Amino acid sequence: MRPKKNTNYISLKESRQIIKHNIKQMRYYEAQKRRKLTQEEYTSVMRDENNIVEIDGLKTCFFTDTGTVMSVNGVSFDIPKNKIVGVVGESGCGKSVTSLSIMQLVQAPQGQTVAGEIRFNSDDLGTNEEGKKLCYDIVKMPTREMYKIRGKDITMIFQEPMTSLNPVFTIGYQLDEVSFVHTPDMTKEAAKAYSIELLKKVGISMPEHVYKSYPHELSGGMRQRVMIAMAIAGKPKLIIADEPTTALDVTIQAQILELLRDLQKQEGCSVMLITHDLGVIAEMADEVVVMYAGRVIERGTVEDIFLNPLHPYTVGLQKSKPLIDSDANEPLYSIPGQVPNPINLPNACYFKNRCNRCTKACSGEYPQTIQVSPTHSVACYLYAKE
Amino acid sequence: MVKYILKRLGISIVILLGVSLIIYTLVRLMPMNYIETTYREKISIGEISEEDYQNLLKLYGLDGSIVAGYFRWLGNMIKGDLGNSFKYRVPVTQVISEHMWVSFGIALVATILQFLIAIPLGISSATHQYSARDYTVTVFTMIGLSLPTYFFGAIVIKVFAVDLGWFDPSGLVDTGVTYANTFAGQMQKFGDIIYHMILPITVTVLLSLGGLMRYTRTNTLEVLNADYIRTARAKGLSEKTVIYKHAFRNTLIPLATLLAGIIPGLFGGMMITEQVFDIPGIGNMAYQALLVGDIPFVMGYNMFLAILTVIGTLLSDLMYAVVDPRVKLGK
Repeated sequence: MRPKKNTNYISLKESRQIIKHNIKQMRYYEAQKRRKLTQEEYTSVMRDENNIVEIDGLKTCFFTDTGTVMSVNGVSFDIPKNKIVGVVGESGCGKSVTSLSIMQLVQAPQGQTVAGEIRFNSDDLGTNEEGKKLCYDIVKMPTREMYKIRGKDITMIFQEPMTSLNPVFTIGYQLDEVSFVHTPDMTKEAAKAYSIELLKKVGISMPEHVYKSYPHELSGGMRQRVMIAMAIAGKPKLIIADEPTTALDVTIQAQILELLRDLQKQEGCSVMLITHDLGVIAEMADEVVVMYAGRVIERGTVEDIFLNPLHPYTVGLQKSKPLIDSDANEPLYSIPGQVPNPINLPNACYFKNRCNRCTKACSGEYPQTIQVSPTHSVACYLYAKE
Repeated sequence: MVKYILKRLGISIVILLGVSLIIYTLVRLMPMNYIETTYREKISIGEISEEDYQNLLKLYGLDGSIVAGYFRWLGNMIKGDLGNSFKYRVPVTQVISEHMWVSFGIALVATILQFLIAIPLGISSATHQYSARDYTVTVFTMIGLSLPTYFFGAIVIKVFAVDLGWFDPSGLVDTGVTYANTFAGQMQKFGDIIYHMILPITVTVLLSLGGLMRYTRTNTLEVLNADYIRTARAKGLSEKTVIYKHAFRNTLIPLATLLAGIIPGLFGGMMITEQVFDIPGIGNMAYQALLVGDIPFVMGYNMFLAILTVIGTLLSDLMYAVVDPRVKLGK
């Protein structure tokens, strides 16, 4: 094997510089989170009051020993009220990091949100002098204030139900905890009754029994139901489901997705559904965001994306999904090439080396987002108006 | 549960038999026996003849083969008789029970202090990983871990007892003072003991912090990266609750293993520390006995330690079931 030039190799001097830079950056951003701010400093105004969350130019990076990894590199999209927004993309494209940024749960101190705005439409803040409704800007919010939102207004369901529950506490204890944190004057009995009601709501047949169980006594599907119960306990406005069915088998997967959709309708909240499974997106989502290498490359309603995919990557993704009537003798399509190294990405389309419709214009800087229709936008030179 | 404990105790007896056989063999294989060390001068000037020497050996039960000697010891032990100590001239059990409590007192205070200091230090150094605090704590505890007791003890005595004169360098109480047998007198004696114990306890705690602190740090770091900690944060719990409730309970699980070592540590005395500070604890007694080849006492002391270790291991296994609901003790 011939060693590649200048890749995966950094000299000792460079390494030292990187570590020094990282420590400085991490200290700075950690201090930012601990600052004491007045409410005006971390509130803002929503662009559209019908959105629950508006993400604008979000940048989240990881300071690693080999350099700064831009996991989320200028992501912008909205999550409207009462809608399911699907975020799709391959592993490492920044879907999960985007969702963790909304919760301020990115693995600190290495991972930090460095730029952009996440506006969260909260009812607690009232209006400003001009009569516009105030909202939280989660990027600027100190961690202390975040405790009030996490688990109450925005909740999260994680990928791994097997390890997401604390093994040494009972299900009941972990569920009650949510009630106690957000309603401090709640009595023990009331919390228990509420938790059992929640367990019933997520379709657990023996809620009293499960209430007393430890996580290891439940199956994966049951645990994910408990996680969902925990997520709806605070009557949230937004539930972030980070690949909620990846670790489950197919039959349970369908049940969990159905439950999630029913609950979304019942509770009247929005769901941000992260997945790499296009089938799940087609079935569940109202709107779709396609991400690639830390950027949103295409956005639209579910019809836009599935009936009229524009970006070559979206087209490729759909081609690489096996269909029931596809020819079994044909090998399944796969997009050629690899995702670029996320350290020091060039200012150019990240997909151009793998793209089969690459033109001369593609060698220019990173393409602007082009609004094709009121609901559909894409970041690709193919659709640039001359 | 009861069945499990009984089974474990049954296995323990086999272990103890093995331990006793090994120790007895080792003690008998020491180059000097009790008679030689005690009557060396008299033998060298011929005051004790070869015949007398053989008689003495027989008197002390040191004649014959190791196997015969071991079974004689074992037979007596089963009857509940550990024999008389050669050196102290009283039954072994009496020596142990008289001197055990001094060691126990020191070890108890030292262990409590050690836990109270090392666990919070470990947790805070894990939550502030790679910070100045983490490195400072690590460096100092590592220095403590690498210093031998006799060396650090000697330095401490030199500085604080000899040069500065703040403490008494040795002993349990002031030798020149007699305490009245009244409540006030006893309290005065107790105060004096505490005063004498400050140096040895400080030395013990400082030197043993490192291990426990590193142990806690590693475990906490591992737990803090777990998925359920992220879940706990996502619920809106404050960082304090996340660390001291959700993470700490999980950190405790591996710490239960340490219990196995604590029990013998509490009762068994600290041979070197007691020696350095000249405390009449059981460790010191055992050290003196070992020097002269006092077989009954060395055997008795080591069996005492072995039993404590076996009990400690059993307790730590039982503790696992208490702290971790996933552990169910088998039949």
